[in-house]
Amino acid sequence: MAFLRIIKNGFTNFGRNIWLSLAATMVMTVTLVIFATLFLLFTLTNYSIHTIQNTVDVSVYFKVGLAEEQILTIKDSVQADPRVEAVDYVSADQAFNNFKALHQNDPLITASLNELNSNPLSATLHIKARSLDDYPAISQGLENGQYKDFIDKVNFEDNRAVIDRLDKILKFIIAFGSGLVAVFAVIAILVIFNTITLTIYNRKEEIEIMRLVGATNWYIRGPFLTESFLYSLFSTIITGALFIPVFAKVLPKITAYVNPQINVYNHNIFNFWYLLLMMFVAALILSIISTFLAIRKYLKI
Amino acid sequence: MIRFQNVTKKYDKHKALDSVNLEIRQGEFISLVGLSGAGKTTLFKVLLGEERAEGGQVLVDDVDIAKLKKSDLPYLRRKIGTVFQDIKLLPKATAFENIAFAMEVCGHTRDKIREEVPKILDLVGLAHKQNSFPDEMSGGEKQRVAIARALSHRPVLLLADEPTGNLDEVNAGEVIDLLLKINELGTTVLLATHAVDLVNKIKRRVVTIEEGKITFQQEQGKYKL
Repeated sequence: MAFLRIIKNGFTNFGRNIWLSLAATMVMTVTLVIFATLFLLFTLTNYSIHTIQNTVDVSVYFKVGLAEEQILTIKDSVQADPRVEAVDYVSADQAFNNFKALHQNDPLITASLNELNSNPLSATLHIKARSLDDYPAISQGLENGQYKDFIDKVNFEDNRAVIDRLDKILKFIIAFGSGLVAVFAVIAILVIFNTITLTIYNRKEEIEIMRLVGATNWYIRGPFLTESFLYSLFSTIITGALFIPVFAKVLPKITAYVNPQINVYNHNIFNFWYLLLMMFVAALILSIISTFLAIRKYLKI
Repeated sequence: MIRFQNVTKKYDKHKALDSVNLEIRQGEFISLVGLSGAGKTTLFKVLLGEERAEGGQVLVDDVDIAKLKKSDLPYLRRKIGTVFQDIKLLPKATAFENIAFAMEVCGHTRDKIREEVPKILDLVGLAHKQNSFPDEMSGGEKQRVAIARALSHRPVLLLADEPTGNLDEVNAGEVIDLLLKINELGTTVLLATHAVDLVNKIKRRVVTIEEGKITFQQEQGKYKL
């Protein structure tokens, strides 16, 4: 019973100073929009780095007709290198089948392949290094090492410059974003602090009477906490509504651009509900901090 | 029921209460008299736990108020009803709503409130005014609503701090008569007042306080400074 009355009084507090309440909600909304935008930028950049990192590998093409045992020996030797994380072996037959499967809908290529008497493709090793910086050394080691006579060519695309650049962007987003979020968080705390202080002032008589007739401390404080909960809830809902088009239209396009093989809806890199929950928790923390400060300073119990 | 033992309360260097010893027995009606600033209101505040005494003890049913936790104070305040000179009614609420508000705050159900409030208003003689707002009532009526609100959770002690201070003679007399009636029904009443005629008319125990000290006590006494 008391709990319901506390909630009801919280709504009354919100409604009585509706313009102030709206101002507090709007400031909190702006803070959340900045927070969410930076979070999405961070996720996107981070995701781009991972995507590019995953596409980096060293491909070793062997000379056609080299015995499989020999290739597997080379594979074991590469695998033994502590800098190497994984080695994938694709035999000449497998490469041929993969190629056929990839172009099965292309009648010209299928017809050309049927004309062939032997497999023109060579066996390959795909090598993943533990660190991006190890790729050039691994690549050079294979080109000039003891197995160079068996190797047709070594392919390595150096994406480190792109990754470095993205890494710098990521660090900038973290530094600039944290600063911006901190500034707006302080503004939001101050605005909510003042709103709650004004509500306390407006309800001075009621609070005094509540105290006199024996209301518990939580019965008196509860409505102000409910009020700050409402600021958090409404600002999260508004921010969420603003981000629906971003999630529906913009993000799939950006993600498709970064990595065309990924479908944004199937891969959980941008989870709307997760973002909403995070925003709500952030808003709640900010508004509860300011409410507690206002209560401590102005609400005598 | 309530004992003040050597209670001292200071505001900076000024002693608002100076070694006060006072016993309030159950069912008594006590008039606490003294000039403004003599310490009457401070004594009430200490009793309600709003102010802490620096020395001595205030015992309510053998419980030392100073040892109560902050979270226990509301329950002490439910045992003690309070009425003030400035009445403190919610201006935008009717007589019924003012009393209902006090009951709501203490967690009474809506049914209980609907049942009890008319009875309490009837007790203070304002059954016909339950839908009136404070600015539609006389000073005496407003104070009676405040008394009704103080009685809403059946306190064992009623503290009345200058309840007639802003009232004319007739209204003041009505309020005192009501307090006497409440006392007859079993509630202990502690009345702080300046009003000489009213104290002399009451003819109950009188306690005089001067500069924070109890200087005179008399059963069925008269106003004396």
